Amino acid sequence: MPEIQKYTETDLIMLLKEREQSAFSYLYDHYSGALYSIILSILPDKELANDVLQEVFVKIWRQVDSYDASKGRLFTWMMNIARNASIDMLRSKGYQKAQQNRELTEAVYEKGGSIATNINQIGLRKLVHSLKEEYKVLVELSYFQGFTQDEISKTLNMPLGTVKTRLRSALLQLRELMKQ
Amino acid sequence: MDTKAYIESGIIESYVLGLASTEEATELEMLCRQHADIKNAVEEFEALIQKQAFQDALAPPPEVKEKLMSALTTEFAKAQTPVVQLTVDTGRSKSISIIRYFAAASVILLIASTVLNVFLYNNYLSVNNKYQALLTERNSLQANNDVFRTRINNLEQSMRVIENPDVRVITLKGLPGKENNLAAVYWDSKTKDVYLLPTKMDATPSGKQYQLWAIVNGKPVDAGVIDECDGLCKMKNIPDAEAFAITLEKKGGSNTPTLSAMYVLGKI
Repeated sequence: MPEIQKYTETDLIMLLKEREQSAFSYLYDHYSGALYSIILSILPDKELANDVLQEVFVKIWRQVDSYDASKGRLFTWMMNIARNASIDMLRSKGYQKAQQNRELTEAVYEKGGSIATNINQIGLRKLVHSLKEEYKVLVELSYFQGFTQDEISKTLNMPLGTVKTRLRSALLQLRELMKQ
Repeated sequence: MDTKAYIESGIIESYVLGLASTEEATELEMLCRQHADIKNAVEEFEALIQKQAFQDALAPPPEVKEKLMSALTTEFAKAQTPVVQLTVDTGRSKSISIIRYFAAASVILLIASTVLNVFLYNNYLSVNNKYQALLTERNSLQANNDVFRTRINNLEQSMRVIENPDVRVITLKGLPGKENNLAAVYWDSKTKDVYLLPTKMDATPSGKQYQLWAIVNGKPVDAGVIDECDGLCKMKNIPDAEAFAITLEKKGGSNTPTLSAMYVLGKI
């Protein structure tokens, strides 16, 4: 999707804070694709991803006043809302149950590949997939599944310091991959 | 501070991706304000992530936007109309209803005012007529009053004359054939003023008038003609006299009395 801006980011934020419906509509048209791929990289189920995308934009609309431009880009803020909403959904009881039922037929999905997206082909995950294994698992658990470093330390039986250092190294590598 | 080492520590990436702890994030935000190169590094990675996300963008199904926009319809309405349209609309319809109300009220007031004006004008005419009548009546009463006041003044003066101890009363009695006539002369012995009280005199024929005479040394002296007067009639000053008499003369009086027409006579 080409990054063509009709509004400058500053104007867009101002109009959103003034509750301009047209600005919100533009915001959706402009950013929904990028946010949708972030959601899908965490939630492979398209139906759920659609729900989460809607929920994310509702949050953006309602919480735009809490966005602080001095702390970062509008997209960074929205991206984090999208990621958090996706992880919340991932961890919800409803999703866990559906997932258990799904496991029975997972093979079908994997092979058919038409309904569930191949998660490893989506967005950042595609790049993460090409990291070395010890980095990949840390990014997977922290970024895509939302575990804290403390939780990861316990789960992997790895010292917290090591988790932190390795994760940072992993992210630096990821950055280099993005630059390519 | 070694900002380069900090930038290359991976903290910036974990912050932007939402993986930094609260303490780490707070520290980084503080350092961003102090070190432009750290701030730049953050912005650089944000731009990189955004670019990556736009490259990887996947168009969501169109119904998501439809559902989203319809889910927020009421909030859009709340966010926009109360500020702009609703206030304008209610304001306009309110002002229209106010104008209508005033128009209706004006018509009612005009009719009421017309009716009231007709009523008041009729009232005014009738009151004005009454006022004019009262004014006339007052004027005539005033005139009457003036007449009475004059008469009272005259009578008071007469009373003073009568009360005055210097004044002598000479009764003029009817002569033979004129017995029913009677008059009295009040003569001030100091001032020599003469007043006449025509107590009971025959009505004068037209063109005729009574005239008072003083008899001085056997000769008649004109003491004035007798006009209509209240109480005492002031006559001419007579220094000395033996008697007073009244004759009927032509109007305006005569130089010499018509003795055949003498009505009353009184000696002092």
